[in-house]
Amino acid sequence: MSSLLQSLLDPKKSWLASLHMKSLTNRLRKYGLRYDDLYDPYYDLDIKEALNRLPREIVDARHQRLKRAIDLSMKHEYLPEDLQKMQTPFRSYLQDMLALVKKENAEREALGALPLYQRTIP
Amino acid sequence: MAIRHLLSLARRSHKPSSSFTLVRSSSSRSNAEEFIKPPPPTATIYDRIAHSLKSKLQKLENPDIRFLKYGSPHPTQTPHTHILSRPETKITTLPNGLRVATESASNSRTATVGVWMDAGSRFESDETNGTAHFLERMIFKGTEKRRAKGPEEEIENMGGHLNAYTWREETAYYAKVMGKDVLKAVDILADVLQNSKFEERCISRERGVILRELQAGGHTEEDVFDHLHSTAFQYSPLGRNIHGTCDNIKTISNEHLHHYIQTHYTTPRMVLAASGAVKHEEIVEQAKKLFTKLSSDSTTATQLVAKEPASFTGSEVRIINDYVPLAKFAVAFEATSSTDPDSIALMVMREMLGSWNKNTGGGKHMGSKLVQRVSINGIAESMKAFSTNYKDTGLFGVYAVAKPDCLGDLSFAIMSEMTKLAYRVSEDDVIRARNQLKSSLMLHTDGTTPIAEDIGHQLLTYGRRIPFAELFTRIDAVDASTIKRVANRFLYDRDLAISAIGPIQDLPDYNWFRRRTYWNRY
Repeated sequence: MSSLLQSLLDPKKSWLASLHMKSLTNRLRKYGLRYDDLYDPYYDLDIKEALNRLPREIVDARHQRLKRAIDLSMKHEYLPEDLQKMQTPFRSYLQDMLALVKKENAEREALGALPLYQRTIP
Repeated sequence: MAIRHLLSLARRSHKPSSSFTLVRSSSSRSNAEEFIKPPPPTATIYDRIAHSLKSKLQKLENPDIRFLKYGSPHPTQTPHTHILSRPETKITTLPNGLRVATESASNSRTATVGVWMDAGSRFESDETNGTAHFLERMIFKGTEKRRAKGPEEEIENMGGHLNAYTWREETAYYAKVMGKDVLKAVDILADVLQNSKFEERCISRERGVILRELQAGGHTEEDVFDHLHSTAFQYSPLGRNIHGTCDNIKTISNEHLHHYIQTHYTTPRMVLAASGAVKHEEIVEQAKKLFTKLSSDSTTATQLVAKEPASFTGSEVRIINDYVPLAKFAVAFEATSSTDPDSIALMVMREMLGSWNKNTGGGKHMGSKLVQRVSINGIAESMKAFSTNYKDTGLFGVYAVAKPDCLGDLSFAIMSEMTKLAYRVSEDDVIRARNQLKSSLMLHTDGTTPIAEDIGHQLLTYGRRIPFAELFTRIDAVDASTIKRVANRFLYDRDLAISAIGPIQDLPDYNWFRRRTYWNRY
């Protein structure tokens, strides 16, 4: 069942999924962002924990990309064409660490321990 | 157009730079715009770090198996069979039916290898009674390859011992040798069993020896038990004397011996057992090569037993002889076969009754009530309880040696304690007997020869080697109520067999004993 879902969502297998990926690529490229930059640490505390674990250079690059995109959006501009051609929107840096964090939390909960941080975003 | 150029120049100068990027950007600046490609993952430092981090996280998913050797976060089912199946006996059945069983002890430099077979005085007939024992005597007296005294000399030259015994249902030939001579010992055993020549001179000489032995003996413990079997199992094969009768011994000849080998030394009824510094594969190879001339007739001993089952007759035999100082007698009930689960309970009951002689270290205050009564009042020189099991029946009882004047008290003590097993049994006594049985079983297998004998005997009686864990569980399953049930089955109001030799005038009569197999007072 999950393999059916995976094949539906896989851009290599499904035309719809590849269309979605192409459109996302175009939009992210215009602002010079990566897909992983869209993950909001205020939305999910797991993302915050994952970002805390990533090395400084990666997080700095993420912040710089975000600042550049905010700046472009404020000026109602897109990134220059040559830079746009060099974008790699789907190069991931966060997914593995995020998966690890989620796995650890699930293991903690499965063993019956309290979660590490009990904080909700108001 | 120019503004755009200026802006792009300004923006390019703010880009995070590395040598790769500079090279790449210069090349991209020089090339036309269509040749601009996204930088590879090794271009920027954050991409490089992200790549290495990814590979490290991947390694978390697939940890190096070397680190998982002694402990892993993933629980695994550990098998306990290697503990529960101790002792580890490797058994191979050859195509001709011969079973080869070995237990290797890696710390031992000697070994015992032998052949145990389901053959004995029970499987003879009345006319051939005594052949088994005669054969055992004759078999080491020469083969075609090795002339007279050859086998014995060869083993002794290696520094080993050659031994054999014939019993009612079991015959064994075994040799104790150094570890490096095991294969030679197997060769000698195979030669001796298959190629023995029975020369006339040797036969007549041996005949004389056996006849003289028969005439000289008569008052040993072995004789008491022989008489006990012959009276308890009268008119049935178990009652035959192992040595045979004088007439038979005088007429046994070469053909009888060869016929016996042909009929009873068959490979399905044999076990080649070895223990100590032995390797299973080597012994199997040697056995395959050498044990080829024995007949593989597939009648098992159980079938032969079923044709002539043993029957117990409550009876007694008394041989009065006032010229010996001590009286020896044995009192026995019919017990059960070795494959019956109650045989374990009978073993525990034997330990409860105990054994004692004047040299025992435990002195007069041992656990068993019977031993206490016998020793404190000084009514016996020695006594022991016994429980023997054959293929379809068995014996359970007490053997005692005493001075002639205390036989009445001694018989009273023995019978009251035996019958008490059906009425009053305390849990403490049972636990003590169980512990004694367990420790005696384990202490007994303390060398290569007892272990090999244990292997051979168990494979012949049970068809497998019972692991100690299972044996101990069976022993622990015996509690006070089991003892009472088993005693009611075998001892309560049952016929018994008595055999006595020596100055036994004061030993009470059979009816006296028979009355005391039950109590009225309960």
